[in-house]
Amino acid sequence: MGKKKISRRKFLVRGGLGTIGMLALGTYVLRNPIRRKLLDFVNSADLPYQGSGMEPMVWFEVSKDNTIILHSPKVEMGQGTFTSLAQMAADELEVNMNQIEVVHAATTTGSIDALSTGGSTSVSSLWQPLRELAATMREMIKNEAAKKLGAEANSLHLKDGVISSGDKQLTYAEAVADITEWEVPDTPPLKEIKHYKYVGKPIPRIDLNAKVFGDPIFGIDAEMPNMLYGAVVRPTRIGSKFVSADTVAAENMPGVVKIVKEDDFVGVVASSYIEANNAKEAIEVTWEVEKDWQTSDIEAMMKVGNGNPMTIQKEGDEVGEGENVITAEFTSPIGAHAQMEPNGVLASVEGHKATIKISTQVVGMTRKEVATRLGLDEEDVNVIPTYLGGGFGRRLHTPHAVQAAVMSKAVRKPVKYYFTLKEEFQHDMFRPPTHHVLKATLKENGMIHAIEHHFSSGDVAIDSPLLPSVAHTIMGADIGAIRGGFCQYRAIPNIRSVSWHVTLPFATSWWRSLGLLANTFAWESFMDELALKAGKDPVTFRIAQAQDDKAGKRLKAVMEAAAEKAGYTDEVVNGRAMGFAASTDAGTPCAQVAEVSIEDGQIKVHKVTCAMDPGVAVNPDQVRAQCEGAIIMGMSAAMHEQMFVENGELRPVIYGPYDMALMKHAPKEIDVVLLQGIEKPGPVGEPPLGPIGAAVANAVFRLTGKRLRNMPLNLA
Amino acid sequence: MKISFTINGTQRSVDIADENTPLLWVIRDMLDLKGTKFGCGKAACGACTIHVDGQAIRSCSYAVKFAQGKQITTIEGLGSEDDPHPVQQAWIEEIVPQCGYCQPGFMMATAALLEQVPDPTDEDIDKNIVNVCRCATYYRMRKAIHRAAELKGRSSNTINS
Amino acid sequence: MKRQTILLFTSALLIVGVLASNFTIGNAAYTTISNATFDAKVNEGNFNKMMDVLTHKRCVNCHPSDNIPKQGEDSHPHYFGMARGEDNHGYKATSCNTCHQSENNNYSGVPGAPEWSLAPASMMWEGLTRIEIAQSMMDPERNGARTPDETMHHLTEHELVLWAWEPGLNAEGVPREKPPVPKDEYIKAVKQWFADGAIIPESK
Repeated sequence: MGKKKISRRKFLVRGGLGTIGMLALGTYVLRNPIRRKLLDFVNSADLPYQGSGMEPMVWFEVSKDNTIILHSPKVEMGQGTFTSLAQMAADELEVNMNQIEVVHAATTTGSIDALSTGGSTSVSSLWQPLRELAATMREMIKNEAAKKLGAEANSLHLKDGVISSGDKQLTYAEAVADITEWEVPDTPPLKEIKHYKYVGKPIPRIDLNAKVFGDPIFGIDAEMPNMLYGAVVRPTRIGSKFVSADTVAAENMPGVVKIVKEDDFVGVVASSYIEANNAKEAIEVTWEVEKDWQTSDIEAMMKVGNGNPMTIQKEGDEVGEGENVITAEFTSPIGAHAQMEPNGVLASVEGHKATIKISTQVVGMTRKEVATRLGLDEEDVNVIPTYLGGGFGRRLHTPHAVQAAVMSKAVRKPVKYYFTLKEEFQHDMFRPPTHHVLKATLKENGMIHAIEHHFSSGDVAIDSPLLPSVAHTIMGADIGAIRGGFCQYRAIPNIRSVSWHVTLPFATSWWRSLGLLANTFAWESFMDELALKAGKDPVTFRIAQAQDDKAGKRLKAVMEAAAEKAGYTDEVVNGRAMGFAASTDAGTPCAQVAEVSIEDGQIKVHKVTCAMDPGVAVNPDQVRAQCEGAIIMGMSAAMHEQMFVENGELRPVIYGPYDMALMKHAPKEIDVVLLQGIEKPGPVGEPPLGPIGAAVANAVFRLTGKRLRNMPLNLA
Repeated sequence: MKISFTINGTQRSVDIADENTPLLWVIRDMLDLKGTKFGCGKAACGACTIHVDGQAIRSCSYAVKFAQGKQITTIEGLGSEDDPHPVQQAWIEEIVPQCGYCQPGFMMATAALLEQVPDPTDEDIDKNIVNVCRCATYYRMRKAIHRAAELKGRSSNTINS
Repeated sequence: MKRQTILLFTSALLIVGVLASNFTIGNAAYTTISNATFDAKVNEGNFNKMMDVLTHKRCVNCHPSDNIPKQGEDSHPHYFGMARGEDNHGYKATSCNTCHQSENNNYSGVPGAPEWSLAPASMMWEGLTRIEIAQSMMDPERNGARTPDETMHHLTEHELVLWAWEPGLNAEGVPREKPPVPKDEYIKAVKQWFADGAIIPESK
């Protein structure tokens, strides 16, 4: 992505999706008919994408060099969204892929996503609106070109950003160079998927060069002239309440510009990162702590039966009691996000305006929080998102933007600050621990008669600033914790799934795939136990109990594909066993087969076969990349990672002790099979994280006869 | 204290009060080369890996005073879009990065590995490439490392012949 | 520093007045020095002071018995799979010096000293008793072919050994634990023990 000067002669499609829409040409003022037009467009489209309503928004921009700049309201955190959006836009705009540049939409000029980048929805939610916007834009360019060329619009030929009529040619940039007014046509019909040049093709990521040559694209790479560095004192113990701070020693430390004391935090501003952090260490803060929490306290809380239950799935009868009831319990630990770029922000507050450069998944919320704290109009807070050095849900909460803005205001200069690793670990918004109780009875033919899943989780969505607090009251259950909590084999006549909710003394929140990882580990380990008990092979056992509707058929198809591609067998061959598991997340079914051995007393995963049906894979290569990454990240979480609570502190606080999968743990073979059971793109980034934990544990059982029911899997 | 070294082929001097400041912050904040990443500051993740006199060094644990007179290479000096290092070329061919944050450190570690072990086995890779990648791009990275060895072998053969 | 040490050593020799004899323990040949003023209790005291240090994790962490360096106060295996490698310096591209330099770095909490490396495999001390460590230390086949005099100098002068008293801060900024005997006392005890014939007390 080169640094391109934005031409003054540009046009913008301003689209306030959801409520209001505007179309602007350069600096020309928007006209109400156009607004209505777009409103109609937006209103008539079935739009899962929710842009915020009242702000001016920009989607496309044509620069003088005929580059089309797409201002993406979704952020790029590695999931490849920018590339997929560019493919979709290029195909409808009739431009070459290399003519599209995707940038993060800033809040003062771009469409603002009302919710977040998350939930694996970026491509699927923009599939329809973005293509329609691009197609409409193409027609507008074509119509303007027709006037200039004195030809019928229908007679024009568009290719690679050039409009031809006979031997006359205009670039898109030339066609729109001096337009003052234009008509917005009805949304033209979209092309058929099979006619797309880029959609569906494994195009290399458009951010590849920036990431391979070390361009300064991330949040904490951002700089501004006269910038200073901040640091904020953070407690190490759970539930610490700020009492007082002695800052005398810190004030005289080298490089210190100002100590910023607020009611809820104490910060240091200094001329370098090192000086700011040295001074921070010299501040003595008194914290009030009510209790020294321990892991055992948390484990005691996190039990099915504690807190509030909510039945989320109810078919037929309960499992009931009796000798024939098969039961098993599972647990998962506290998990850290451990994204590689620590949270950080660059804030500049000048008068009544603020500029925030930040790795965030919640652009709109970051803006709102800064505006509220500083008493600014939201329109005056420009949040400029950057590439994220990993998201995984960690950047759905950005109070550090507020702190940096407060510090910037105090010193009247831009202030950059980012977390130390210890701060990152201890102030994470963790994946909550879980506890699962599963019960079932089998029929005489070995099929499941009744099955029940009770699971307890700390908060995921509840109390999240992302959702209104009434959401929990309305929904009755934590909409994050329940992901993967349902029984996906709906031909089983009697099903119960019950979600138990416990609020823990430390923050728990969104972690890639939310409840899916732990819930699927429990469900699919238990299904394996039942299959063995029934004397059936685990693949046909599952397939036989999936229902015959669309979702069931897609699930069966991925299970068949994974088993066939892997050559699934229940036998241990040459010291290796296979484990099978499947999940359905946000509509996307995924099945995996893990090929495992035990080496030096450790579980070794050699190969994972993954079959997934994400619908239309806009970029099959990046869908594969998401599967590969999710499988290894899922292995890391299921086999290695665990946070503890020791004497009131969340620990460990460093990579290494926080044991994560490394190169040597990654399978040397990952075979991804993509199916397409629907005619639109479905969620991709999280679904493949579901099956892997159970797939590995199920293989370990075949090798050792030992059923591992607790994450992280431990043979000892 | 004034410290002089060569970085990416250019002679540079910095004046710094605390000579124990890790080189990482000098590179990022004083020399404005942002390709070298701050990941942990504890030599635990490898995101800040650079080359000092050809050796892989984690710059967050390397006091700037040790850089005096040394030859330093960062990702910006490893190769360019016009003339990529074989490791970068391989990374592009295999489409390795996801979020991309840890990738410069991995590429620097890999480039150093190929200088010592031109055709690394999987075991060599497992032992020497111990950086952390949260997107878990390890599967493609391994392929890219083997591909880089191939590309590098090919280019040095050309030079030799 | 060096001159002072030699002077101390010489004066120690003068005081005790030396009579040499030879004996062997295992494969190792020891020169013992018996003298009129030799006091077994004093000797044992010096020996114990020395071994209190040499059996401390600051020393044993880098004398592993499984080729894997240990870290921290709990002597856990070095994270990230680091191991001896071919030359005691780790692996070819990711070596000790990828992270460890010639001084501690207190910003990162990474320890460092000149010649930072594992002790050679022959010098594995981890899991040994103090008597066994002493025997190993005095055995030229295991101690790098050092004479007792060279061993004494190594133990009292080598910067990597003396790093144990300047171990710096760990990754959380907490000072690493030092050996239980102050450096000066340790050096004095080691020298006296060698001067007294490097006699390893019998195992109890």
